[in-house]
Amino acid sequence: MADALPFSLGGNRRVVLGEVEVSDFDGDLPTEVMPLHMGPSHPAMHGTVRIALEVEGEKVKTADVQIGYLHRCFEKEAENATWTQIFPYTDRLNYVSPMLNNVGYALAVEKLLGIEDQVPERAQYIRVIVGEISRITDHLTCIAAGAMELAAFTVFFWLIKGREWLWELLEEVSGARLTHSYVRIGGVVADLPEGFSAKLREVLGKVRLAIADADKLLTRNKIFRDRMDGVGVIAKADAGAWGLTGPVARSTGLAYDVRKDHPYLVYDRFDFDVPVGSTGDNFDRYAVRLEEMAQSMRILEQALAEIPAGPVIVDDPRVALPQKHETYNTIEAMIAHFKLIMDGLHVPAGEVYSFTEGGNGELGFYIVSDGTGRPWKCRVRPPCFANLAILTKVLPGLFIADVVPTFGMINMIGGECDR
Amino acid sequence: MASDLSPPSETVTVIVDGKEHRFAKGMNLLEACQSVGAKIPFFCYHPGLSSPAVCRQCLVEIKGAPKPVPSCYTTVADKMEVTTNSPKVLDIRRQMLEFTLLGHPVDCPICDKAGECSLQRHYFDWDGKLARNEGVKIRKAKVVDIGKHIVLDQERCILCTRCIRVCDEIAKSPDLTMAHRGAHQVLTTAPGQRLDNPYSLNTVDVCPVGALTAKDFRFARRAWELDAIPSICPGCATGCNIEVHSSRGKIYRLVPRENPAVNKFWMCDEGRFEYKAVHENRLLFPAIGGRRSKFDAAVAEAARLLRLALVKDAGSVGVAFSFAATNEDTHALVRLVNEGLKVERVYAAGKAAGWSDDILVSADKNPNRAGVEHMVSLPLRNLKDLASDLASGAVSALVLLGSESAALAFDKLSALVVLGSHKGPAGAAAHVVLPVCTWAEVDGTFTNKNGRVQRIHAALPAPGEARPAWQVVAALASRLGADLAFTSAEQVFAEAARHHAFLKGADWGPRALPVQLRFGESRG
Repeated sequence: MADALPFSLGGNRRVVLGEVEVSDFDGDLPTEVMPLHMGPSHPAMHGTVRIALEVEGEKVKTADVQIGYLHRCFEKEAENATWTQIFPYTDRLNYVSPMLNNVGYALAVEKLLGIEDQVPERAQYIRVIVGEISRITDHLTCIAAGAMELAAFTVFFWLIKGREWLWELLEEVSGARLTHSYVRIGGVVADLPEGFSAKLREVLGKVRLAIADADKLLTRNKIFRDRMDGVGVIAKADAGAWGLTGPVARSTGLAYDVRKDHPYLVYDRFDFDVPVGSTGDNFDRYAVRLEEMAQSMRILEQALAEIPAGPVIVDDPRVALPQKHETYNTIEAMIAHFKLIMDGLHVPAGEVYSFTEGGNGELGFYIVSDGTGRPWKCRVRPPCFANLAILTKVLPGLFIADVVPTFGMINMIGGECDR
Repeated sequence: MASDLSPPSETVTVIVDGKEHRFAKGMNLLEACQSVGAKIPFFCYHPGLSSPAVCRQCLVEIKGAPKPVPSCYTTVADKMEVTTNSPKVLDIRRQMLEFTLLGHPVDCPICDKAGECSLQRHYFDWDGKLARNEGVKIRKAKVVDIGKHIVLDQERCILCTRCIRVCDEIAKSPDLTMAHRGAHQVLTTAPGQRLDNPYSLNTVDVCPVGALTAKDFRFARRAWELDAIPSICPGCATGCNIEVHSSRGKIYRLVPRENPAVNKFWMCDEGRFEYKAVHENRLLFPAIGGRRSKFDAAVAEAARLLRLALVKDAGSVGVAFSFAATNEDTHALVRLVNEGLKVERVYAAGKAAGWSDDILVSADKNPNRAGVEHMVSLPLRNLKDLASDLASGAVSALVLLGSESAALAFDKLSALVVLGSHKGPAGAAAHVVLPVCTWAEVDGTFTNKNGRVQRIHAALPAPGEARPAWQVVAALASRLGADLAFTSAEQVFAEAARHHAFLKGADWGPRALPVQLRFGESRG
């Protein structure tokens, strides 16, 4: 290698190819700042987002989170759809927990209509049940994908299998595996199928085992803990200041859960805990989600035990579609059906903000009605929009490899964040 | 209304739903309540007709009155205390609706009125209860051909008598009446008579339900698929205000738009069919000598021919205006005449005069004769002059705007440039054809016979390669040495308004956006 050319690595060190001069200098290699784009399509980013990093060696210097790759004009589309036609759009907000979006939107419109009290109790219980199932599928997805991105592929399969069982149940309820559009203004479209309780109890047992398996593989796993512990730490004060909600906020010790702090539906009747973390690192976010699934199952069991019989949608042809035999045989029901489908139900002019606990935190709908059959404005407060924003602050100082679990535990869902 | 007759100083104090308001003396109570935001439904009342108070939807409570009174039949009085939304009033409304719906057929899916139906709307707003009976209906005649333009469905009729009053009071032709009694009462014509007056289609507009439907619009399009754009009827010099209802580039109907100063709430049957021509027999592409060409090439050829004719004998070069063209098109053409061609031989063509009455229809069948006559300062020769000048050879080259002229001896011309919207004898004989838009495809203004300048809005995209005539004229003028430099009809209007006194004070107004009838809540 006599004719190998020496080249400079910067600084005052000389490296000769073939025979590297080993320096005893233990600091970082001096390098230039390099831009590095993670995403928008990156195998370790389970969401369509681009994080424009500036890295110095392996260290992240700055992080610019660029969203919008899944923008679908949800809010603008909503202005051209009747109140009921918006449900399918809400399915596509947080698409791993569509039922929670359905419920959140329905509650907002019902608040504006002033019919919250008239929604039958059974419908409220059903909404809690399908919502909590969705919360479990949401958290299962987050943990499964997060583990997979750290090379724990087995966990992914086990948890996603559990998610699939739950989605099969929701498919039985609504007819669609993912895009349920099951909730309606004033209730839900149809009652739970026969034998639902027994099936759900059985599935919950199986999901519990899958979660326990994942827990065994991850929680005391050295590799997993090394990647998670102390990484991506968010201070409790920042959680409030940046508007974080959901598991991300709770991981910092901020015990804010809409279900507890501003109970809606029949959540005040159930006994459940709000788990919080202590350090606000990635592991806390993982642990909070793990525990929340257990709490959701507690709620589900109580709801299944208490659910009353009765109608599942309000008895008002100006809000809910009349029965088909009525529609075909009486002019009153025919007109009601016609107006509901063609004009949309009449929501009095006014504005409303209504919020629920979505999979990722506070899912808010700010709706303005001008009294016609469609919203004048339908603004969504997507929880992961705020949750994602703090990455700009959290990522600098971490290693490039830490971006993956940190982003994963934020659980950004493009459909919801970009709308 | 009655309020117009009283001097404004004479007012009365009325308490409506607990709030004190002042109204002009003699004002109709229903209108008074509406004007302060109280919502009162009605079927039989119509602001342009007398009130028979038969539908009993507008009943309100008046303090001191022994029972609720129909507000449409009551005038305001001093110290009157009116309640429009008490539980009793709401209950009466609901019961009247239930009563009305008892005999109504389950027709919404096949009814033309569905989507703009007052019965549907009032049921949804004021009733909202499901049926309590078994749905046994009294059967009546379903498809009665009662007139040239109209089909009657007696089952759907809710007996409001609006159509009878339209015939009696507006068309002055009492063609309709009620027959039989009670639940068997039906709307009908006298035996052997037909509903054939020139304003018959207004009965379809005022019908709150789908009892009277227009044959022309029947099953053509669902109401909620239509977009509405305000415009002016091009059928005669009256200039009735209309709405153009179109869907996906096709007009389905023209309906009257309220304007108390021109047509109130009405228009004639003839005017409603003006839209047909917009879609028929159109000139779509520019042509030179009958062969399709590029627009620029056709304009260049037209300019070349005209320049040749001008060199030969400028006095024999003529320009024909159109009484159907907008003020903007006319203004652009005036500038072409004065600055581009610099000729003095101008003609004006238009549709022949027709029948008239003292209601709405004018004998002059052109929408903008007044505008053209105001704008062109040169002596305008008419079609007869044009025919004789063509025969004598006094005119050798002609720029012809519009498609109204009949077959004339065009073959002697050395240059015939036609700016036309429709195929016809002129287009067939033309050396150069430049396709232009009709009234339905442009923004602009018409001046009616009383000098009222009214705005039209483009309801459709231009078909083929047609362009607004002012644009084509400007392109032609620029090749003849006159720089018109117009970029929008609004700009042409603004310039015209500076030149012509009759446009003083006329306002171009905001651009109207199409209103989706589905969400418009404007009709029914």
